[in-house]
Amino acid sequence: MVLPALVPAVFVVAGGVGAAAMQSLGLMPLVGPVRFSADAYTGQAEDLFRALGLSLAIAAVSTVIAAVFGVGTALLIVGGRWCGRILAATSAATVTIPHLIGAATVGLLLADSGVLARVLGVPPELWPSLVGGPWWLAVVAEYAWKESAFIALIVAGTLITRVARFDEAAALLGATRWMRFRFVMLPLALPALAISSTIAFVYTLGSYEVAWLLGRTYPEPLAVMALRLFNSVSLTARPEAAAAAVLTTLVSFLVVGACFWALRKTALWR
Amino acid sequence: MLVGLGAVVSLTLGACAAPAPDGARSEFADWNDVIRAAQGQTVKLWMYGGDTQGNAYIDDVLAPAVAAEGVTLERVPVTDTSDALNRVLSELQAGRTDDGTVDLVWVNGDNFRTGKEAGAWLCDWTNLMPNLALTAPDDPLLLKDFGTPVDGCEAPWNKAQFTFVYNSDVIADPPTTLAGVLAWAEAHPGRFSYPAPPDFTGSVFTREVLYSVSGGYENVPATFDQDAYDQLTPKLFERLRDLAPSLWRAGSTYPANEQELNQLYADRQIDLTMTYGPATLTDLVASGTYPPGTKVLSLEEGTVGNASFLSIPANAASSAGAMVVANVALSAGQQLAKAHPATWGQFTVLDPNELTPDDRARFDALPSSPVVPSYDVLSRSANPELAAAWVPVLDEGWRTTVLAGR
Repeated sequence: MVLPALVPAVFVVAGGVGAAAMQSLGLMPLVGPVRFSADAYTGQAEDLFRALGLSLAIAAVSTVIAAVFGVGTALLIVGGRWCGRILAATSAATVTIPHLIGAATVGLLLADSGVLARVLGVPPELWPSLVGGPWWLAVVAEYAWKESAFIALIVAGTLITRVARFDEAAALLGATRWMRFRFVMLPLALPALAISSTIAFVYTLGSYEVAWLLGRTYPEPLAVMALRLFNSVSLTARPEAAAAAVLTTLVSFLVVGACFWALRKTALWR
Repeated sequence: MLVGLGAVVSLTLGACAAPAPDGARSEFADWNDVIRAAQGQTVKLWMYGGDTQGNAYIDDVLAPAVAAEGVTLERVPVTDTSDALNRVLSELQAGRTDDGTVDLVWVNGDNFRTGKEAGAWLCDWTNLMPNLALTAPDDPLLLKDFGTPVDGCEAPWNKAQFTFVYNSDVIADPPTTLAGVLAWAEAHPGRFSYPAPPDFTGSVFTREVLYSVSGGYENVPATFDQDAYDQLTPKLFERLRDLAPSLWRAGSTYPANEQELNQLYADRQIDLTMTYGPATLTDLVASGTYPPGTKVLSLEEGTVGNASFLSIPANAASSAGAMVVANVALSAGQQLAKAHPATWGQFTVLDPNELTPDDRARFDALPSSPVVPSYDVLSRSANPELAAAWVPVLDEGWRTTVLAGR
């Protein structure tokens, strides 16, 4: 039954990853002889590690912020008052905005001579370096904003179907707001929160356009590095680009694997 | 099973790798054959899409002229020419050898060289074009493209001159040499920057500084040679590292491309900028984007000049149509229209001596701009470009020494 859906997915994923792995190992050169070698990895090991560290940091910080705001928003949506409905509508609208548009918007808003700086009347020299600054603040802000809406919708979706009964039961038994959040809402939301956070994390790790538009030229995250090398005019840089891409893929698989392993250990999985 | 299938897929892809190294040769015997084969073809021209005047020229002037010859011209905007080259290389790698999606590319320099090395361009076709006779046969800018012999693999289209631009309302007494520009930047911290190579403009700027610290372009061998690189570049990178603290944001980051740099200039965050397309300045000043005091800075030692070309990929689906487009683009009428500052203001590749007296008079009658001097003035003592092999090495050297060195 699932075969028609499985075959193209396997073809694209396995074929694409396989081709990238082969390119990174020198087995698919654009010019020159086919020769197996790990030069694309070892030759730029230092750059790869620096890029990996930066990518993980950006993804981790923006995912944590997105998760906190996402759960808060989800609770307000589930609360069901009028502000919940407004929040649900704005979250749904936010999810539909492409990251590229989001990045351009955040750039226009937060740049040195951007809209916010002009509205507040701060001259460019005094405005903090949010775009292209040393702490990647505009990049983190964009991912946190977009992904918090995504996490909010997923978590609200799971909570809304079953939370009311448990919540009312706990309230009747005399649980305070905090206790209901800690012992009812959070455990119920946890699997959905973990899965949506992992999706957000892995997406951030592999995405390139936001970091490229709002980040700085050095150091660079893995995805930006892979694209720069892929577009490089020297034909020998393609294996290095593929190496960066393969590393991103491996780390993503590890993170997804770890998430599922941890979820299986929780009681709610069953 | 997944792994097995993946391996099969990758092997099939792998089997098609490595295109022919010598490129494809045109199979047309004469121009009439080309015209006949081109009828009804649609040509996809891949070109840098960030220049609204250039886009408007293609859509409103060149496309109708080409349509009169029976060919439809479609413009495909790209952010960087290497996107088009990468598309061609990927298609060739995947075994798509005669129905490629790219028919014509606006190209020069290292993209041309890389494509030529990989056999990605169609060669030996420019001599078929009747309008090639309007160019000077011995024009050095048209015979070699950044040191790579053209060999009939691309048709000349534009000439360009790298230009520094300054705000004369702020800088009353502008520097007259590149060394002076760098000294001015150090005297005025935060008011100057340059795009990070491998951006095209940033890359030219580092080559200009290389000429300057080496005592002129004569002292830098045009063909790449590792000894010359080892001997000359320490001075270059040292100069740029010393300059960095005086740049915009103290050199802790750089604009990623010419647009970002010029945005800083438009926002009055810097007072000196640079461009390979001085033709656009007139419009930018007139529209109020650039400060009214904007002027072109002429340097005593001159600046780098080059030509850009139209190239047909070896796997182009409509190669005959692409040749017709290149020929029309090279006609006196099109080159004249393109050179008009109100249209695009791109300098012509034609030789005045090969033109009819009428056409020559029309070129002479082109209006001059209050901001930009004419090509003759701009290109006075023009410096030659270094061989394309220098470019990636210098870019990488800058990235690891100047950018990472802080």
